[in-house]
Amino acid sequence: MKRLLRARIASWARRRQGADVLPVTMHYRRIYILPTRAGWGFAFLLFCMFVAGLNYSNSTALFMTFWLAGFVLVGLHRCHRNLMGILLQGASAVPAFAGGMGQLELTLENPAPLLRLRIEADLPGVAPNVTDIAPRSAARLNLAVPTTVRGRLLIDGLRLTTALPFGLFRAWTWVYLPLELIVYPRARGLLPLPTVAGATPGARVRGGAGGDEWLGLRAFRDGDSPRQVAWKAYARGAPLLVKEYCAAAAPERHFDFERLPQLGTERRLEQLAAWIVDAENRGERYALALPGGTLALDRGAQHRHRCLSALALHGLGPARHATAIAR
Amino acid sequence: MPLPLHAERDPLRPMLWTTAAFVAAALLNADRIPLWATAVLIACAAWQLSVAAHKLPALPKAAQLILTFVLVTCVVATFHTLNGLPAGTVLLVVMGSIKLLETRSRRDRYIVIGAALFLLLAACLDRQALLRLPLYLGEAGLCCTALVVSAYGGAGLDIRLAGILAARSLLLALPLALVFFLFFPRLPGGFWALPASDDAVTGLGESMSPGSISQLTTSYEPVFRVRFAGAIPAPQERYWRGPVLHDFDGYTWRHGPGGAYRQGPLRYLGEPFRYSVTLVPDANRWWFALDTVVGSPDKHVLFTYDYALIARDPVTQPTTYAAVSYTHTESSEALSNIARKMESALPPNRNPRTRELAARLRAGAPADADFVRAVIDYFRSGGFQYSLTPPMLDFNSVDDFLFHTREGFCGHYASAFVALMRAGGVPARVVTGYQGGEWNPIGGYFLVRQSDAHAWAEVWIDGRGWRRVDPTAIVAPERLSRGILDILPNAVSGSTRLLYSTPLLAHLLQGWDALNTAWNEHVVKFDVNTQLGILERLGVRSADWTALVAALGSGLVGWLAWIAWHIGRSAGPRPADRLARAYARLCKKLARAGIARDASEGALAYGARILSSRPDLAPRAQPLLRRYANLRYAPMSAEAATAATAAFERMVLRLQLARRPR
Repeated sequence: MKRLLRARIASWARRRQGADVLPVTMHYRRIYILPTRAGWGFAFLLFCMFVAGLNYSNSTALFMTFWLAGFVLVGLHRCHRNLMGILLQGASAVPAFAGGMGQLELTLENPAPLLRLRIEADLPGVAPNVTDIAPRSAARLNLAVPTTVRGRLLIDGLRLTTALPFGLFRAWTWVYLPLELIVYPRARGLLPLPTVAGATPGARVRGGAGGDEWLGLRAFRDGDSPRQVAWKAYARGAPLLVKEYCAAAAPERHFDFERLPQLGTERRLEQLAAWIVDAENRGERYALALPGGTLALDRGAQHRHRCLSALALHGLGPARHATAIAR
Repeated sequence: MPLPLHAERDPLRPMLWTTAAFVAAALLNADRIPLWATAVLIACAAWQLSVAAHKLPALPKAAQLILTFVLVTCVVATFHTLNGLPAGTVLLVVMGSIKLLETRSRRDRYIVIGAALFLLLAACLDRQALLRLPLYLGEAGLCCTALVVSAYGGAGLDIRLAGILAARSLLLALPLALVFFLFFPRLPGGFWALPASDDAVTGLGESMSPGSISQLTTSYEPVFRVRFAGAIPAPQERYWRGPVLHDFDGYTWRHGPGGAYRQGPLRYLGEPFRYSVTLVPDANRWWFALDTVVGSPDKHVLFTYDYALIARDPVTQPTTYAAVSYTHTESSEALSNIARKMESALPPNRNPRTRELAARLRAGAPADADFVRAVIDYFRSGGFQYSLTPPMLDFNSVDDFLFHTREGFCGHYASAFVALMRAGGVPARVVTGYQGGEWNPIGGYFLVRQSDAHAWAEVWIDGRGWRRVDPTAIVAPERLSRGILDILPNAVSGSTRLLYSTPLLAHLLQGWDALNTAWNEHVVKFDVNTQLGILERLGVRSADWTALVAALGSGLVGWLAWIAWHIGRSAGPRPADRLARAYARLCKKLARAGIARDASEGALAYGARILSSRPDLAPRAQPLLRRYANLRYAPMSAEAATAATAAFERMVLRLQLARRPR
């Protein structure tokens, strides 16, 4: 019942506000505020104090009542202000394998000269996370998003909340960003890596961590793993260099969807994902062929992501056909 | 919906503040809660803090339940009830202490803070002394700080910041509190009766046994304060009437078995004195008035046949009443037989020598007035001494005093004088009350203390009525014109003597007393009449409760607007300058039209992208973006820049782009 009501209110707010574009400013028109349970309790307490003070014509008790009531109203404004004016500068979804935890990385900026206390972000069905934001600075806030099936996970109902400073009111705002989290197929399969096709025996292939033979140093390029950086050299004042090893006769792999006819579609995608992870870990180059298209031989984090994304979205329509998070 | 659990990583600090708020609130009531309850409170607080600091294990649930049962039983055993302010306060302290023991979550802490605020309310209901006000304000601040610390949970919050946050919020709330205090319509009476106080009765008793007292303990406690409107009676006329004692058994004077008689009408002589009295609550039922008051000042106060005032309920709150009195009266009506018999009664077979003396004096003075004069002369020349430490008297107290000890205070003299009068056949009675009072020049009122307690006599003279005779004044005339300190410095304790005999300190004390009186008169006694008075002084004619509500409403609205502005203004993100604001507006308009600027995109790159992907917008967008880049980066004189910025602002304002649905 409560959940239903919340969903109704959220969808009403969405119609009212429209979709958002980054950066999202927490304008006062999009901040909602209600008393918390503690706030209602406090109101009851004030009511008791008020009745007692009025009945006994007790000036001190009445003054205390009015003073604390004013304090509560100040708290209302302070709670509202704690959220108002914050900027959501960035929101990006870090992919995950199905069944694992995806990440939603939020960047919150506080342009005002006041300390924001306990700004909390949450999604329906996701453990919330909180942060303080110092005056005129930004803070990172990550939400761990559980995943179930491969595909696009539409991140909907992102909410920023605060109950500070007094915990008597809770102010919140809904952010409607077109955010999607790519969920890779689960990386599992029993088949061994397919044998090398067209690799030159004895050829030396430059490789990453997977290799074991020292090759030399080269300049740092975007996408290189920090683990490969020659930090000792960097500490001595040298530019960022990357240690290169070579895997003796590192093979090139060709992963083809069509060559796995004995499995169902999902199992094939899972097997392919497992191979991609495996090959990437070994520092091998690999190509992927899917019914929809192919990805040429390459390696590295970006290539891995492209391949796994292709698997994740295989057979799914373009965006908007995403599965919403189970509420 | 609960806040995340990881906020509870370090529960020690919120626990500490919550406990402090609760313990402080309980200690505000410390003098009314039994020692065992205070011990329970301290023990529970210490235990819980040790638990929070991981020094002790938490008390098991069963032990808590047993403790609850035992302690509630103790409260019932102490008070025989759970109702009423004293029992309720102790119950709250005890239950709150047990709640402390099981406080784990934020919700528990809020409950404890709520209990602390209830205890603050109990303290306010019980005592409203000015001296306690800072304590109450401090406790409110402490509770609010505990609220911040609790809401934040865990470490990481600068504690100074929490304190400042609470204090500033309370400061901002102050104007609203004042407006509501001034204009919220007060009830003339309560919804239900005031709680009866079970304090012990102190002050003037309803009986007097001078012989049984060997040391009169003189307390400097205030009894009431009097503010005269107009004429002020001379010092020797400042007799404040309390209980009148009619019944004598040879040793003790009593108010009497209740045999009242009708008193004839009085003729008032001299000037009327108009004044208001503010009683210090002492759980007595006597209201004091200058010698002969013309009537009861309140419908719940009985105006007795002997001109005393007895309230229906004990005085438990500071009470103020206006009265009119005369210091001289006359009554031509004869005293009824019953009255004459009652006011001339003496126990047979007691104080024989007094009877002899009265008969001897009476023989030489056939007229009543002459007899009175003869007895006065006897006191004047009999070698009597005023003393606050007289010897004890035996069974025939008047005989012993008149012929043996000859040393005593007002009670001895009044007692002996009235006994002599009655023995001589003149109706007489003992009046107890207060005499004099200290003038407070700062507050403009007289302060009457317990040490001003006095007893004097009234004798009936046919054709003239009751006449006041003060035998003490004959023996020790300085007693009336000077305070007790001057004539008997050893009567009060050393510290009090030191305080009141140092002129500067005495002056400070008077100032403090005046401040307290103003507090009591203007704040504690604040009621609907005062409220209407304020409105009328503000210029509202024939103010009534609608005017109060109007004042309240406008005050509330004004305060809300002010607070919204005051708090809201610091939150808004403010772009650095006008140009940046105008540029932000331009980007917003373009974003609405369907092409938003990337965070990392410069104005010119943005323009280029618009040209390639939205050529329909480019003719209008690109010149503006170029103009912005120019304004921002090209060297320009300050005046030219200001003019150009203004022009840019206007252009951005005028720019209209069709909304592109996304």
